[in-house]
Amino acid sequence: MKNKYCFTAVLLLVIALSAGVFTGICRNMQKDNPEKIFLAVTSFYPVYIAAANIIGDCPDIKLQNLSEPQTGCLHDFQLTPEDMKLLSTADVFLVNGGGMESFLPDVAAEYPDLPVVETAGEQILSDGNAHAWMSIKCERQIVQTIVESLCSLLPGYAEELRANAAAYDAKLAELEEEQKELAELSRGKKLISFHEAYEYLARDYGLQVCYMLNLDEERQVGAGEVADVLSAARENSVDMIFAEELYGKNLSDTIKKEMDIEVYYLDTLVRGEYDLDAYISGMRDNINLLKKAFGV
Amino acid sequence: MFEYGFMQNAVLAILIITPLFGMLGTVIVNRKMAFFSDALGHSALTGIAIGIVLGIGDANAAMIVFAVLFALFLNYISNKSNASTDTIISVFSSCSVAVGLAILSWGGSFSKYSSILVGDILSITRKEIFYLFLLFAATMLFYAVCFNWLNAVGIHRTLAASRHIPVGLMENLFSVFVALVVTLSIKWVGILIINALLILPAAASRNLSENMREYHFFSVLFSLFSGMTGLFTSYYTNVATGPMIVIFASILYFSTYLYHWKGQKSAKWEKNLYK
Repeated sequence: MKNKYCFTAVLLLVIALSAGVFTGICRNMQKDNPEKIFLAVTSFYPVYIAAANIIGDCPDIKLQNLSEPQTGCLHDFQLTPEDMKLLSTADVFLVNGGGMESFLPDVAAEYPDLPVVETAGEQILSDGNAHAWMSIKCERQIVQTIVESLCSLLPGYAEELRANAAAYDAKLAELEEEQKELAELSRGKKLISFHEAYEYLARDYGLQVCYMLNLDEERQVGAGEVADVLSAARENSVDMIFAEELYGKNLSDTIKKEMDIEVYYLDTLVRGEYDLDAYISGMRDNINLLKKAFGV
Repeated sequence: MFEYGFMQNAVLAILIITPLFGMLGTVIVNRKMAFFSDALGHSALTGIAIGIVLGIGDANAAMIVFAVLFALFLNYISNKSNASTDTIISVFSSCSVAVGLAILSWGGSFSKYSSILVGDILSITRKEIFYLFLLFAATMLFYAVCFNWLNAVGIHRTLAASRHIPVGLMENLFSVFVALVVTLSIKWVGILIINALLILPAAASRNLSENMREYHFFSVLFSLFSGMTGLFTSYYTNVATGPMIVIFASILYFSTYLYHWKGQKSAKWEKNLYK
């Protein structure tokens, strides 16, 4: 009977030792090939797409995004342990800023040496609405902020990064031109917005926001609010409603049933395909929708 | 490694959950319920899917409710039906996986949930550890009060019933405990290998032990050992933790199998010698 216990003790010891040796070998191998790659981490989708276009094919810079929230907006997103581990190896953390990332104080407390770049910076509206990427003009500034911060951290790659940024900026400029042409026709039109991100569009297109209701997954709309929206729409003879399909559809359908106002579901570009042209194609889809809205 | 909050969580979770796996595994192996616990793991997919359809934010709640109902219903049907238990379990398991996959892959979004197949140790939270601890305490209480009855049911159902042991209640309670343990740990162990954690330590222990006390002792020891060794090795080698734990548990199983086999051979040889 004793044999059994001796056997078990020896077996566990041998396995533990082999695991230790195996781990040691693996760690040494990792040390032999230390990663010299610069790691840039972005806080969420629009910042990631902009940074990906700037970094391009640069082999020594790795870009990673934090794990995306599956539902809802970034406002109430909590960092996962995986994100914390990712940030512990990051060389720069590119964020939108303006209160969009509520977890920034936690990151600063945990990794005080990690440079954090608030890309939207001065573009943010005075009321604290931080969805600056929704304006093409602001997005061009965001691209400039990212490229300048990366160049200051990686002076050796400045030329390549600036060239990539210039190429991306040219595409954005083309899009902005298209937007400006459209803005000539849209000035003064009235709208109701169901997402605060559309305030940037309203500013760029010279639209007048008569009523704004910021709908997200946690926002419950009361009957009184629906009545307020309806009376605002009647009083101002509103031309259109802008809403996000995921959270604004129910309310928009209700309003549409009560009054004959067209609803336009514009993309807020907070999530989507990880494709370099995702921002441009998303914005172009929005412009095409707006053309319809303005009757062009 | 302990400077990271998630590693502290992972160690705590393993310290709580692996003894549970070891203890429940002994009864599962004795009662030949391996396929049953496997089916429960698979039902987690459906639980998540139903949670999403009903708009329940907390996937854990949907999974737990579904797994408990699934386990009870499975018990009920296999007691009533004439078909063999493995056929019934297979029917239930395939149906629930099919429904789960169909819902989750709707709109091509299955990739969002594929992490649940392999599991992610980093995803464990303090709240989940608290639940695991409650479950641990409840299982201990259940074993302390009912283990003899449970064992009697495992040995012979009819005999146990003749001794006025509540056979149905014992079977259902045990299934509910297995369902709870499986669903609470599936997110970090992964659907594909969770069953191995329940079966391997108990199976390895069976190769060595001669009575119930030894059977439980070795099973808990092997489970705890493979859990901790797996976690540390996976941390330093960047391999998913669940598979690493299972690899260590498998090594233990095969080593004890060899020991058992050799022991049997030499006993036979000695027997022949004195013939």
